[in-house]
Amino acid sequence: MDLREARRLGTALRSGLRGVRAAPLVFAVSVATMAAGLLLLAGYLLLLYNMRDALEHFGRDLRVAVFLERDAVAAPADVERLRAELAAQDGVTDVRYVSARKALERLRADLGAEAGVLEGLARNPLPASFEIGVLPRMRSPAGLRDLAARLEATPGVDEVRYGEDWAAGYARVLSILEWVGAGLGLFLLLVLGAIVAGTVRLAVHARAEEIEIQRLVGASGLFVRLPFYLEGGLQGAAATAIALAALYAMFRLGLPLVRGPLEFLLGRTQLVFFGPLEVLGVFALAIALGVGGAVLSLLRLEERT
Amino acid sequence: MIQCYHVDKRYDAVTYGLRDVSLQIERGEFAFLTGASGAGKTTLLRLLFAADRPTAGQLIVAGRNVSRLPLAGVPELRRRIGVVFQDFKLLAERTVFDNVAVALEIAGVRRRELRARTWSILRRVGLGHRLDHRPRALSGGEQQRVAIARSLVTDPSLLLADEPTGNLDADLALDIMDIFADAHARGTTVIVATHDRALLERYRHRRIVLERGRLVADRPPQALPSSIGRAITPRA
Repeated sequence: MDLREARRLGTALRSGLRGVRAAPLVFAVSVATMAAGLLLLAGYLLLLYNMRDALEHFGRDLRVAVFLERDAVAAPADVERLRAELAAQDGVTDVRYVSARKALERLRADLGAEAGVLEGLARNPLPASFEIGVLPRMRSPAGLRDLAARLEATPGVDEVRYGEDWAAGYARVLSILEWVGAGLGLFLLLVLGAIVAGTVRLAVHARAEEIEIQRLVGASGLFVRLPFYLEGGLQGAAATAIALAALYAMFRLGLPLVRGPLEFLLGRTQLVFFGPLEVLGVFALAIALGVGGAVLSLLRLEERT
Repeated sequence: MIQCYHVDKRYDAVTYGLRDVSLQIERGEFAFLTGASGAGKTTLLRLLFAADRPTAGQLIVAGRNVSRLPLAGVPELRRRIGVVFQDFKLLAERTVFDNVAVALEIAGVRRRELRARTWSILRRVGLGHRLDHRPRALSGGEQQRVAIARSLVTDPSLLLADEPTGNLDADLALDIMDIFADAHARGTTVIVATHDRALLERYRHRRIVLERGRLVADRPPQALPSSIGRAITPRA
């Protein structure tokens, strides 16, 4: 691009800002409408973001419990033999032994003031177990099912538990919500794109005379279109800023009111807001949407001389 | 500057704007394009600045074949042509200065040069004192001079004017013609479409006569001096 071309682009961009200043109300209404749509979309994305985070959290904390047959594994040599066998299984990161006595101590600690219910027991009802760490690649429901089957087939193992029903159910719900989110997102993107396209069409109509004169004195198609692309992009950026600010305010102010049900739904103790990358992603999406809407509404303008 | 070979402009099967028009206009010429309303003057001008395309024939303007010019090539051609319209085509919300400067902005001229050239041309057409006014605050003649200043500020090699004096009284019409004569004297090829007999009598330039879309006469410049002594008097 030569200097002359760069100056032309600079002029076109200034013309876009002038367009915004010339019709601030149209711009403001359009930004507000777009911000409302983006708020809805970003709120939903935030819910999914936390649910996915909760699932990953669950995966990180995941340990498979392998309960041992009470009489078959009693001697320390048997425990060590079984530990070695379990550790050799594909997908296992570490193996930790929990004796029956230790398990009872944990239960007693968990029960706290209610621990008295354990006092009348003739013998320890809890079996010894191994707690097994799992490689990330095995943390899917299918991977865990496969690992559990192999562990269960090991002699001396009575039962294997890893919260399979909860994990599979949670993953299923998340998957459904993601599909719903994709549909809702697509719908909202189309609506928001149409809003931008409509605003740009209004701006084109309002500036039809200026465009005609620019064409007559030799403006290129890009020179004419660029101000509207800028306007669309600005709309997207402004709407995102408003939507994310509103969402953040709602997150901070409203969270205490809905913390209980949300934590029950998400199954974790700390809810988080979007990180910088996600915020940038929403900005990029909205700006692309604004420019895309402008491109769509200017397709017909392109065909004219 | 312009070569026109058997050009037709047809709007539908039976309606012609131009029919089999052939003519040649040399660089630096001054020509009147004349004929009754509907003769095809505006149609020919629109073809010359590529607002329309010939239906048949070849039209070459400033070395570009308009018949085959891709859309992307139109802006570059138009930057070499100044066009003056009967209805001025000014931006109502912009100042006189901005209305003229827009042509230089689009040409990519740097800011300082843009200011100097815009100011200079507005002085040349006698509007140096009207820089910050909006077009609605100007008389018809002043608005026409703004439009002419916009068409000349880029130093075009070709100036096209469509009935530029149609809405003006006789004195203002002569003012406008003086500006064209000045541009012509500086080397610009000037084509003025008009059916104003008084102008045609007064200025004895080449006269191309159209009738119902056909070229019916092409009279060379008369022996009388074409510019008849009205010097341009800058007003500011």
